[in-house]
Amino acid sequence: MDVQRYISSGILESYVFGLLPDAEHGEVETIVAQYPQVKAAVQELQLDRERFVQLYAMAPPAGIKDRLLDIIRKEETPEGNSLLPEELRAPAAAGTSRETPVKRINGHKSSTEKIWKYIAAAIILLFLGSVLLNFFFFSRSTDYKSRYQSLVAAKEKLDAQKESQSLTAHKELQKELDMLKDPAFKWIKLEGFGANAGQIVTVCWNPVSRAVFLIAQALPMAPVGKQYQLWVIRNKKLVDAGIFHGGAQVAQKIQAMKPAEAAEGFAITLENEGGSAQPTMDQLQLSAKVQK
Amino acid sequence: MDYHVTYTEAELVQGLHARDQKIFSFLYDHYSPALYGVIVKVLNDHTLAVDVLQDVFLKIWRYADQYNEDKGRLFTWMLNIARNTAIDVLRSKAYKLEQKIQNITDDVHLNGGPLTVYQSVDHLGFSKVLDKLTKEQRTLIDLAYYKGCTQEEISRALDIPLGTVKTRLRNAIIQLRNILNK
Repeated sequence: MDVQRYISSGILESYVFGLLPDAEHGEVETIVAQYPQVKAAVQELQLDRERFVQLYAMAPPAGIKDRLLDIIRKEETPEGNSLLPEELRAPAAAGTSRETPVKRINGHKSSTEKIWKYIAAAIILLFLGSVLLNFFFFSRSTDYKSRYQSLVAAKEKLDAQKESQSLTAHKELQKELDMLKDPAFKWIKLEGFGANAGQIVTVCWNPVSRAVFLIAQALPMAPVGKQYQLWVIRNKKLVDAGIFHGGAQVAQKIQAMKPAEAAEGFAITLENEGGSAQPTMDQLQLSAKVQK
Repeated sequence: MDYHVTYTEAELVQGLHARDQKIFSFLYDHYSPALYGVIVKVLNDHTLAVDVLQDVFLKIWRYADQYNEDKGRLFTWMLNIARNTAIDVLRSKAYKLEQKIQNITDDVHLNGGPLTVYQSVDHLGFSKVLDKLTKEQRTLIDLAYYKGCTQEEISRALDIPLGTVKTRLRNAIIQLRNILNK
């Protein structure tokens, strides 16, 4: 090894001033032990450093020395031991070497440790976040499930309603068709007159089956507390044929009335709710004769 | 009358090994100002420095058998303990690099402000020495030696390439030696 070159390389300055990383620090110590010249150079440098450091010398506050001597005298007693700094207390941690320069690695280590800490924290946060999201989506999915089920139920209900509706609609249609097709049915159109002009009710009567139906095609809704009543005219007498509704809602509806054996005509009066046994003649609304 | 007694290096080491309180007392009297100066320079905190100084002397007392003459004089060993203990404290205080630099910028010595009273063993004037270093050289030495910054840390903190930090630091130390040896 070129000792002179090594000495002038500047590494010894760094060594003496404690600026070398641990690994290089050990290397220099090995070389110092091997080469007296290097050792001498190091000693020179150490003296320089001692002188340099003396420049900053500063008398410490009085009293420390006495306190130290006190601790030293009592160091073998538990009381004295407790006065020692933690790392020096018995059982003394003799393993810690003083020659190791400042735990240089620590600087790096702590920064990598920090990075790991951050990574760990990030992972934990991500994990917690995913757990939360899981809960969120899980509750959302169960929510969807229940909503889906209620939708299915609603649809089934609607389907059932539709079916029953179409059944009744079908029945009514069939009834209507029957009436239209059965030649026995007689159609009597009752038209309003006077104050009731424009009102139309069609009665259809089957003298064979005696069935009576009516369609209140154009009849206003009865006033509150009143109801329309159909009368069969027979032997100049009015016979009750049942009560029925007026209004736009039933304008298309075929309403079944009481059967009639024989009829010369039909009349409609406005009666108190529930109908009357005898017609109130001044409330006659519409009437028509059956065409022979 | 320890004051008038001087010991040879060998006597000091021997006395320390023998746990001679007189030797301990002598070491304290002769070296505490230098060690205290180093600690204060590292920590910039006199209250804390007093505690550290006490710890340092207790370590010297307790770990005397670990002193290795081959590695340098007793004073060099004591200096290492003082610097390393102080820098450990500095680090355990979780100082950030910026704070370390801040400490240096605030340092009265660098700003040429009134100097703290110190006991210079050397006759060479303190500011005279430092005046011969450039401000950058002083900063480099302070960061490296007193704040325990690695050359990588200095490179990052001062935004100077690592190679340049190494060269300049070496030059600073060489310059320092030249001044001291004049």
